Amino acid sequence: MELTNGVVMLVISQLMNALALASLLTIVSSGLALIFGLRDVMNLSHGALYMLGAYVGYSVTNILGFWPALVIVPLALGLAGLALEHGVLRPLQRRSHIEVALITFGFALVLTQIIGKIWGKAPMRMDPPIALAGSVDLFGAHYPAYRLFLIAIGLGTCMALAAWLKWTRLGMYTRAASQQPEVAQMMGVNTDRLSQLVVCLGAAFAGLAGVLAGPYLSVDLGMGSAVLVMSLSIVVIGGLGSIWGAIGAAIAYAFVQVLGSVFFPWAALVVPYLLLIGVLVLRPRGFGQGRV
Amino acid sequence: MNNGSLATPNLIYGATSSSPMRPPLVIAAVAALAVLGLMLPYLVSSTYYMNLLVRGVILGIGAIGLGFLMQQCGLVMIGVSAFIGLPAYLFAIGLGTLKLTTGASLAFAFASTVAFAFLNGALITRAKPLPFAMLTLALAQLLKSVVLLQPLRDIAGGDDGLPMSFNGSFLGLTQEQFASPAAMWRVVWVSLCGAMLVTWWLAQSKFGVRLRAIKANEERMRFCGFSTYLPRIGAFTFACSVMSLSGLLLALNTGLASPDLLDFATGGNSLPAMLIGGSGTVVGPLLGALTFTWGQDVFGSTGDLELLTGLAVILVLWMCPDGLAGLLRRAAGILKGAR
Repeated sequence: MELTNGVVMLVISQLMNALALASLLTIVSSGLALIFGLRDVMNLSHGALYMLGAYVGYSVTNILGFWPALVIVPLALGLAGLALEHGVLRPLQRRSHIEVALITFGFALVLTQIIGKIWGKAPMRMDPPIALAGSVDLFGAHYPAYRLFLIAIGLGTCMALAAWLKWTRLGMYTRAASQQPEVAQMMGVNTDRLSQLVVCLGAAFAGLAGVLAGPYLSVDLGMGSAVLVMSLSIVVIGGLGSIWGAIGAAIAYAFVQVLGSVFFPWAALVVPYLLLIGVLVLRPRGFGQGRV
Repeated sequence: MNNGSLATPNLIYGATSSSPMRPPLVIAAVAALAVLGLMLPYLVSSTYYMNLLVRGVILGIGAIGLGFLMQQCGLVMIGVSAFIGLPAYLFAIGLGTLKLTTGASLAFAFASTVAFAFLNGALITRAKPLPFAMLTLALAQLLKSVVLLQPLRDIAGGDDGLPMSFNGSFLGLTQEQFASPAAMWRVVWVSLCGAMLVTWWLAQSKFGVRLRAIKANEERMRFCGFSTYLPRIGAFTFACSVMSLSGLLLALNTGLASPDLLDFATGGNSLPAMLIGGSGTVVGPLLGALTFTWGQDVFGSTGDLELLTGLAVILVLWMCPDGLAGLLRRAAGILKGAR
């Protein structure tokens, strides 16, 4: 009885861990997928934007506290997204998409170094806000309250995004432009104006994920490229440009990663890459209705 | 991407028929340059600068392979570090675990990497350019995770990497000589000339034309009865073998296979080098690699290397998409026009 209880508790807490990671990854990857859908460019600076969100979130938390940071940082990153759209994606929209992606990669390098100059190179710890500092009793297992909050926010954001895409006019335009950009334009969708909104939204999502990641993971200079590699894999697995695919793939990826690390600790790092290679070999277009 | 590169292969790949000089003259000039290059250690007396040149050329060989794949197939390999680090590791494993002689170990590492590249190419060249780029990135990170696995620590060395001790000399050179820039230069220079020659020859051959045709319109090539899958695997395998040449030279020079070589951020310098130089010619990536290594030396001490690399990549890609080589060609065109 003792043993089975222990096993159940372990399974529950690991499932919750997987959900927590999945929440973070869905927020980041849906932003990446949104931008890709509208602009056809893989934004390789997305990880750096997420990291910027985490560092700005760290500073704002120290001055004003965590809750204001949760609002201010996504707004600030939304502005950064506006700059990305007007400074890079729009002027270069006639250029080869791979080149633009590589330019955003250059921006990621620059941004990472600038962050290192401002905040220093040492990793920083962020404590969860006092209201979420303790742990919660979950079917007999003690589980950190902050992770539950993370899961709630992650699911909430996903549902809000899904509702926006499904039931609003702009959401419909976004879906249309992601699937058939030319047809959408012919039918009178102003893709330039739409992409301004969507790139802002994608960057704001990256910022939100960054603030949320602070107390969950540590804040350091490697977090950007780590999350970029993960979310790129997710977007590719989910089918390029497919937002639903990205959300589903993020959940699958997080479960594989977390459960892999429990059951095959020696292979935890390898499993996600095998998943990516396996999926793309079997279904080169990914799971969703990607168009690339 | 495919802005007329199919129609003007000669302009893009070196100067042959469109050049005012006659081909025999060009061949003589190139051959003279290749021989003269061997004499460079007599000109450059400083070991420090010789070492920089060796590193720059090794990086350049990797960038040439990368540039070939980008120019001929439109495929960008973000995870180039996979095929730089893998041969270095296999070489070290051949020397250590398998107790092979230096030459045999080199042959083992090269042959296995090429075979691995072929098998991999069969899987991943089916993907479109963007998923392809991600797959190579995943492959590099996968290999890095594999060498860091705890159960493989005895073979792959974990975080510390694998230091090598050569079993006997190779090409009459000992491990100390491979580490010394003046002796290493000849090996590196001959490899560079070989790699450039073969790459140039492949690019202007029928095979290259076919690859560019596939890049321009794959469906149409299929309708015309050409296989579009096999040539891409061939191009991928060839590009990877050029990259693994670069990896092996690096391993001979440094005598160490480390996980950093496999990481896409630290081992993938050939990618920015190729982008800075431009993929349009075989000289471009080399030019980019030399510039990159020089920049690394100048800016490395300030600690702003990555910042400046990033800025350079942005500026070059923004201003002149065909890289420094394209810029030089345009400058030459303006000069010629003014004359």
